[in-house]
Amino acid sequence: MRFTISREKLQEGLSAVAASIPAKTTLPVLANILLETTERGIRLSGTDLDIAVSTEVAADVETPGAITIPAKKLQEIARELPPSPVKIAAAGEQRVTLECGRSRFKLLGLPKDEFPAFPAVKFEESWRIKSGDLQKLIQHTSFAVSTEESRPILNGVLWELRAERMRMVATNGHRLARMELPISSSGAPAGDLIVPPKALDQIRRLFPAEEELEIARGDNHLGFRSPFTAVYTRLIEGPYPNYEQVIPKDNDKYAIADKGSLTSALKRMSVIASDQTHRIRLSFNAGMLKFSVQTPDLGEAADELPIRYDGDPLDIGFNASYLLEILRYMPTEEVRLTFKAPERAATVEPEGWSDPAKYLALVMPLRLMD
Amino acid sequence: MPRIAVLPPAVADQIAAGEVVERPASVVKELVENALDAGATAVEVTVEEGGRALVRVSDDGSGMGREDAVLALSRHATSKIRHAEELVGVASFGFRGEALPAICSVSHLELETSPEDGAGTRVRASGGALQGVEDAARRRGTTVSVARLFHNTPARQKFLRSARSEWRAISDVLVVMALTRRDVRLSATHDGKSSLALPAAPSLRARLGAIHGARYADGLLDVEDVAGAVHVTGLVERPGDVGTAARRVFLAVNGRAVRDTGLVRAAEAAYRSTIPAGLRPSLFLEVVLPAGELDVNVHPAKAEVRFGDRWAVERAVERAVRRALGTLDSAADVGGRGWFAGGLLNGARPEPAVNPWAEAGRDVGALHLEAGPTVGLFADPDAPAPHDPRAFDGAPHGAPALPWEVAAPAAAPAPPDEEEIAVPPLVQLRRTYMMFERDEGVVLIDQHSAHERVLYERFLGAMARGESPSQRLLFPLTLHLGPAQADAFEANRDALTRLGYEVEPFGGGSLLVHAVPTPHPRFDAERCLRDTLDALTGDRHAAAHARHERLAATVACKAAVKAGDALSPDEMRALFVALARTTLPAHDVHGRATIVHLGWDELERRFGRA
Ligand SMILES: Nc1ncnc2c1ncn2[C@@H]1O[C@H](COP(=O)(O)OP(=O)(O)OP(=O)(O)O)[C@@H](O)[C@H]1O
Ligand SMILES: [Mg+2]
Repeated sequence: MRFTISREKLQEGLSAVAASIPAKTTLPVLANILLETTERGIRLSGTDLDIAVSTEVAADVETPGAITIPAKKLQEIARELPPSPVKIAAAGEQRVTLECGRSRFKLLGLPKDEFPAFPAVKFEESWRIKSGDLQKLIQHTSFAVSTEESRPILNGVLWELRAERMRMVATNGHRLARMELPISSSGAPAGDLIVPPKALDQIRRLFPAEEELEIARGDNHLGFRSPFTAVYTRLIEGPYPNYEQVIPKDNDKYAIADKGSLTSALKRMSVIASDQTHRIRLSFNAGMLKFSVQTPDLGEAADELPIRYDGDPLDIGFNASYLLEILRYMPTEEVRLTFKAPERAATVEPEGWSDPAKYLALVMPLRLMD
Repeated sequence: MPRIAVLPPAVADQIAAGEVVERPASVVKELVENALDAGATAVEVTVEEGGRALVRVSDDGSGMGREDAVLALSRHATSKIRHAEELVGVASFGFRGEALPAICSVSHLELETSPEDGAGTRVRASGGALQGVEDAARRRGTTVSVARLFHNTPARQKFLRSARSEWRAISDVLVVMALTRRDVRLSATHDGKSSLALPAAPSLRARLGAIHGARYADGLLDVEDVAGAVHVTGLVERPGDVGTAARRVFLAVNGRAVRDTGLVRAAEAAYRSTIPAGLRPSLFLEVVLPAGELDVNVHPAKAEVRFGDRWAVERAVERAVRRALGTLDSAADVGGRGWFAGGLLNGARPEPAVNPWAEAGRDVGALHLEAGPTVGLFADPDAPAPHDPRAFDGAPHGAPALPWEVAAPAAAPAPPDEEEIAVPPLVQLRRTYMMFERDEGVVLIDQHSAHERVLYERFLGAMARGESPSQRLLFPLTLHLGPAQADAFEANRDALTRLGYEVEPFGGGSLLVHAVPTPHPRFDAERCLRDTLDALTGDRHAAAHARHERLAATVACKAAVKAGDALSPDEMRALFVALARTTLPAHDVHGRATIVHLGWDELERRFGRA
């Protein structure tokens, strides 16, 4: 194998793949990057066995071939190289030389065969989705996933595909985010996929928003690809809990508040809220929202915010950080909050959003002390 | 004929003797006390046959003139008080003028005394009757010899134990006297063998070292605390050592050795959660309080006292001991002991950690919401990163936090939360220990034990306040319990609710959990509840108070990070700060060490550099 590549192209390829290389691994080959020559140049691939990323960049190939090289070292070298063409050649199965200007490196690689095969997904049965749509769903929902190990299902984002629409839902059992977009003629098979957020993160990072992605399923895997780049991920086995059932339909108290002012007030209250639970109290009265917080051994604080509210007075406790987080992803200046009772789920939605998407966040209250 | 008659004085004395003189050890106690009251600087005790044959106490005190020497043997003759009012705050051991006549009434007694070197007096008496007074040349001081104790009261004699066990009781008395008055040289022989030779000692620790060995004494923790008018000093056993040696208890109030189960219990209460239930620590405590707060005249042998405000004294003792246990010095130690003088907060080379309360004028909001130094596991269960534009990397873990809050148990001394806690650079070893360097050596903290301690104190605080934050769940958890676990649940239901578990029995041994506590982000509420109920099976009959502590300890144990959990640097810092704010950082809730020191001197010794 022998090829020449520009320093920039090499760096571009490496940075795309780097995130999929595990920091620590018991399988030495996973610390390596797979380099393969293709018709258009070279393909770089990395995997931690949960996700795999591969990308193709332009290069002049003299002799075709494939080799794996320690990813971290190659990245460090590429970062320090002078701005000249880089010549990479593999002598035999393991020895790699890299030349650039007057710099020369010899690296020990591992044979290509040791590199794990990519998950088999059936791109012949793929469907297409605009990358920007997918990214929008990911951005507004994946923050809500659980990091608790005991309920692995909640560690993933539910991606619901239906004939007319697709949806993503994430929750940690305390709060939930759901977004829905209409889709037109994608040919996507209806189904529920539970995707690890790490893979979704790569999708947000690697594909330009305007690109059409080809998506395909395998038995336990999902693949996303554009003409140059592909991301594969393991799927989490379901079923996902019945979230529809816990989204309140009978919340009869509504409030509309300015997102910026609400955020500022919550941040002020957070200073005094317990750092374990961030518990604050919200008291809704006609036209006015009162905030208060009392934390033993720390102190207390109170604030007020004029809002639109005409329901019965309501006192409810929340983890302020959950509310702040949800507000951060709300796309509109104003938000609409709905409630039923102090121990029931509250919802937050964008107010006056002229967008084909539908967005809803839900948060469970914290018990208040009276 | 009247049936009631006034007893002849000799009989009355014998009856009184029954109260003052129970056994040879009481004789030793009374005689040594008299010697000490006479200002002796050296006291010699000679015993034969466990005190049955002879008890002799010699001193170099003030001695007596002839008249006093004779008077001393008659009842209620005392030089120590003249008026009843003087009983308040009486500083001498004796004040009743009862001991010598009582002893005399049941033995052959010989008293040799001289107020100055040279001409002295010898008084002999038997069964309470004076037998002779004569000249005796001797040095300044007094020698009292008591021979054939109880020779005229066969009933009492029968109750004497073997010479060995009587001698053991005498030794105990001597040790108590030696601890009470460390400025006095004390020696004792039994059947001609020297068994105790204590020079005057500068401190309690030195005296204990001379009695029980320096190693034992050096392992004890200093107690020193003032609460109101009550001053508590002394030495107590490190929790890690409790149960490894015989239990010893010494308690002195205003310089008088006393037995007082209330105070001992208060001191033991301070050990709660640092040692396994059932183990009892060794204690050497001295309490000083205003004389008016104390009545010493309530017990014939003066072994008990009465307090004006017992509750205050007990709290003072508990607090003093708890403070002693709260120092890092009380941690388990490898190698030389006692090199650590301060608390957790001193001496480590600090990296600044910020406590918002350290500076009142600071903009705490900006500091903590935007650049909070503590994150993650120990600070902040679920905060998002408000200023991180990326959804993934920001939330929910890498979140800046508000300061770590610890609720201390109500009765415990205030943790040092007003101070800035300096956090040294920490290294995690084996995903199990945090290590840092101090001027005196290396310190290792067990991460699980430390977190357990932090959570335990917080849970106790939450239970004391009656409630703790409880996060309602979107999807209720269902737990299926066996009968034993269901029992444990019923027994602890109220306390679990206070901890934040909102649980509804669902029939057939099933529980529906609607809300859970959220002590830290890795907290697994379901597993914790299940494990806790498993651990608490069969605990039904414990007292509610003990049950709460047990529950807090169990939940803390189940909820804490485990050995093997990798901690980020910020998590380690937050744990360090939280631990430093607990009242007993050096001990976990099972009585094991949380912190171990390895002193430089010990390291150097091992490297052969000493
Ligand atoms: N070793 C001694 N040296 C000097 N004086 C002594 C000595 N032993 C006894 N006395 C004198 O004899 C008196 C009587 O002693 P005794 O022990 O009977 O009574 P006490 O010490 O005054 O009171 P208590 O009965 O409470 O011990 C003392 O008050 C003291 O004046
Ligand atoms: Mg006396």
